[in-house]
Amino acid sequence: MTGAKDRMREKKMKNQPRNVTYTSSGRGTGRGQGSQACGWVRGHQPGGHSYSQDLPKYITASYFAKARAAEVNAMLKAVSKPAGSCHVFNALPNHMRRRAMSHNTKRLPSRLREGAQRLAERSQRAAEKEKKQLPRSRSRRARRRHGNLLLEFNRRQRKNKWLETHIWHAKRFHMQKMWSYCLPLKPTAKSFRASYRAMNTHALLQDLSYFCCLELQGSEEQMLRALARLTSKQTGPTFAAASCLSGARQGSVHLYKADQFPQGCLGPADFLWRPRVPDASDRQLWIWIHPDLKQEVLSELQLVCQCSVSVSVSEESGPAVERSAGRKRKRDEDDAEEPSKRLLGDGTRPAGAPVRWQSPDTTITISDLTMEIVRYRLIGPLAHVVLTDTLQPASEEPSDAVSLHQQQTEVFQLLRGVCSTAELPAGCVLGLTVDDPRLTLPQKRGKSVPDLQQSAEDDRLRDLRLTGVAAHCSQSALWDTSARERVTHSRLSEQELNRMRSELLVPGSRLSADGQAAVPLLLVHQGGRVRGEERLHWGSGWDLLLPKGWGMAFWVPLVYRGVRVGGLHMSVKHSQFMGQPHFPHDYPDCPAGVRFQSEQEAELLEKFKRRPPSKRTNYIKHGCLAPFCCPWQQLTEEWEELVNLSTENVSCCRTGASDFTVLRSLKALRRLSAWTRPPSRRNSSTLTHATAAALQQECGPSLVWVRLRLLGKGQPALHAMVCAPTTSDLQLLLQDAHSSGPQEPRHKDHLKHLRQHKTSPEEPARAVRGVFPAPLPSVLSHCSRLTLGWVTQGDFSLAAGCGEALAFISVSGLLHTILQQPQEQRGLVLLRNPSSLQYRFARISIDV
Amino acid sequence: MVRFKSRYLLCEVCVPDRSSLQLLEDRTIYNTLRAAVNRAHGDYGSALFNIGVIVKYLNAHTGVVLIRSRKKHYRLIWSALSFITCLENRGQKVQCFLNCLHVGGTIRTCQKFLVKYNRQQLHRMLPDCKTDAEKQEVRRAILSCSLSNVREEEAGEDGSDDDGDKET
Repeated sequence: MTGAKDRMREKKMKNQPRNVTYTSSGRGTGRGQGSQACGWVRGHQPGGHSYSQDLPKYITASYFAKARAAEVNAMLKAVSKPAGSCHVFNALPNHMRRRAMSHNTKRLPSRLREGAQRLAERSQRAAEKEKKQLPRSRSRRARRRHGNLLLEFNRRQRKNKWLETHIWHAKRFHMQKMWSYCLPLKPTAKSFRASYRAMNTHALLQDLSYFCCLELQGSEEQMLRALARLTSKQTGPTFAAASCLSGARQGSVHLYKADQFPQGCLGPADFLWRPRVPDASDRQLWIWIHPDLKQEVLSELQLVCQCSVSVSVSEESGPAVERSAGRKRKRDEDDAEEPSKRLLGDGTRPAGAPVRWQSPDTTITISDLTMEIVRYRLIGPLAHVVLTDTLQPASEEPSDAVSLHQQQTEVFQLLRGVCSTAELPAGCVLGLTVDDPRLTLPQKRGKSVPDLQQSAEDDRLRDLRLTGVAAHCSQSALWDTSARERVTHSRLSEQELNRMRSELLVPGSRLSADGQAAVPLLLVHQGGRVRGEERLHWGSGWDLLLPKGWGMAFWVPLVYRGVRVGGLHMSVKHSQFMGQPHFPHDYPDCPAGVRFQSEQEAELLEKFKRRPPSKRTNYIKHGCLAPFCCPWQQLTEEWEELVNLSTENVSCCRTGASDFTVLRSLKALRRLSAWTRPPSRRNSSTLTHATAAALQQECGPSLVWVRLRLLGKGQPALHAMVCAPTTSDLQLLLQDAHSSGPQEPRHKDHLKHLRQHKTSPEEPARAVRGVFPAPLPSVLSHCSRLTLGWVTQGDFSLAAGCGEALAFISVSGLLHTILQQPQEQRGLVLLRNPSSLQYRFARISIDV
Repeated sequence: MVRFKSRYLLCEVCVPDRSSLQLLEDRTIYNTLRAAVNRAHGDYGSALFNIGVIVKYLNAHTGVVLIRSRKKHYRLIWSALSFITCLENRGQKVQCFLNCLHVGGTIRTCQKFLVKYNRQQLHRMLPDCKTDAEKQEVRRAILSCSLSNVREEEAGEDGSDDDGDKET
């Protein structure tokens, strides 16, 4: 009975030649494996195979030659067949073999791991009788691998929408799933300062296609009447602003629930009117909103426009037929019929979800254009240079729009002469029809530099700078659904393009654009910082609107011109440097903002709990009541009480506990802004108790968005406290301009002894050590200085060169404080980080 | 881990008369060698011989013998080879001497050497042939022992090998 060892040896030695002798030939056949112990192993039976012929009479040279040849063949066979040692470990080159490969199979590459594991198992089960192992079916991952990668991608997009540039971003960015999109968060390389420099001096690129677009179509008066219920003139220009109504400018507006101003804020939105077409009374309006807002805004719009009837539904998204993963690839006839296409547009929409709504009374139609239009944002002073390098106006044009195209081309060429993007008026819109930018893709990546030779005294250039683009030049074919579909379908695939490139006579020359479809697009100028007095127009740029499907075709040429790419993190910083509130971080009164704050609180609490208890900051001892979440409602209520107490206003006309709002009315903001600065001769309104009380009555319990700038040292952190200084603090500052500020005395941790007892069974939630439990004590007077508000974004500002913070403070608190400050030092407050006891001086400014 | 290293002596049996080669067996060689070592090196030699010496391969047609011995003592065995004058098998004595062609550390190196050596011999045989038929034979033999032949054989045998594996 042969054992495993013998079988193994036999397998190793099966290629070795056996002894070649004369004697075993005759008897070998009779007795099976002969009894002679010739062979490689002692005791092993098989006799040598030999020539089955009788002893020859004569040995001649030929015979000898044959013998020699046979021997050589046998030797060659033995030598060339590398049987013998374990093929698993021999298949690896020397530099990849590791010491403990045999018992730790994870050190082998995955293709060899199975064989090694089988060997290990077999050696363990050497004593038992071995059964032949069935070949294991491949893992789920391996079975699904080489099927159709495109189908796999389409399937993954059903849960979270992918942007067109997703794969490009996924290779270079950390991605995050938010708001049912998969969005790039931060680059994997360390590039914060480089991105800031790009925003400051060159250009930064972002993919903003996740913003949802809602289209309204109908007659102008009815639309304006309906939309006027959603906005208010007090916050600024509305949908009916004159410059925006003609279609020459993009506007931005705050949306509220119908007729509920100032309560019920929904969020900010950008809008764009289509320029008036002669002989047509219907107008088109595009509203761009953040995806978190979309459901709410859509329902409000439907309510306001009375559009409840849904007209068309979304079809089955494309020929993305899902095949069972087990099919082989040999089905050529099936493949030829239905090549699987990339999923374009919104993949998470179930088939049959309504896309358009019409109203029976008014003639307004609402359509949902999510993911139909690709939006790229270029930020920086050289953004226009990048655009003029990348885009080439179309050489051919359909005959009906020749003159318009020529005018648009002229305006586009004029852009080259502009020194910086900030010179143009904010929000101007230019429509354009361009060639495929992949045709003029440079061989190597470079950085686009401004063309300094163009004459700056051109009259038209001056007009452009002063008045912007004329309304009729903002027309574009992008507004038509049919034109968009046509352009999307007539796009050349990369394969076609590469084939054309390989067929060129002179390799490396430019491809001609004959016969290719021209792409209509819209260029929208974004004004940067428009409010306030410092660093005006910082962060201005251009938005590029494209039809869907053309995302990557424009992205790669833009990247080849040397722009930096930023993600969500950079857009938050962009808003922060501009001093503008970023949705949804800085909108505490909107439902989306409330959701965001609760998510942020949960995240911060998790991170806090993960640290070992002795390494956590004890917020109770620091006197910080709300390190993770800011209780705005409680703050405003307490300030109302305090102010009413101090003014002894018995007949308070406060309507109970109303919800707080954020002050957005421009008039009130202007007055407040004037009052928070040391008085100069220009200021008209003087601050007295009466005027302050009047303003307070007007606003109700509200918060105001302020920018704080530290006078000296210090870097504000998230949820730092903004406090009112006492008179002694201000005197301290007068004496020593560089004083660092007062210090908070350390509080006692009164919950410490409670935790040492056993938790009673009535308490369901265990108090986290170092954080105040849920019903907070008085927010205002917990610390030695009165709390005015909290910081929502704070950091060392690279633009300003000192610590800057953006905060919300209570209006009544602010007025109360300012009234008590001497005139020269008006607007000074104290700032304290949650994990520190040191107060720092800061100056408030309200940007209007 | 200590390895037992061995040396393989590739020897050729040279006889004046080719026909007397026919009765060669590995036991014959073994016994003759043992007697020779005993005569030359005494008890010490025969004790060493007992440990690690074995005849690994024998080809009676060409007279090639492959002897294995331990690395420490192969020179001893090698020296005894030259004392062998005749091989005895069942009472028949054959006059011969063992010519050592190659010493290798592994069987594989000896096999590689043997391939080269045989090829050389075949090439040398060609001008010595007297008749044309012989020449044809020799040429055919030379052509037949090429690597491509071996590869074809391998491809043909792989299928049969797999069947063989599955049965066990």
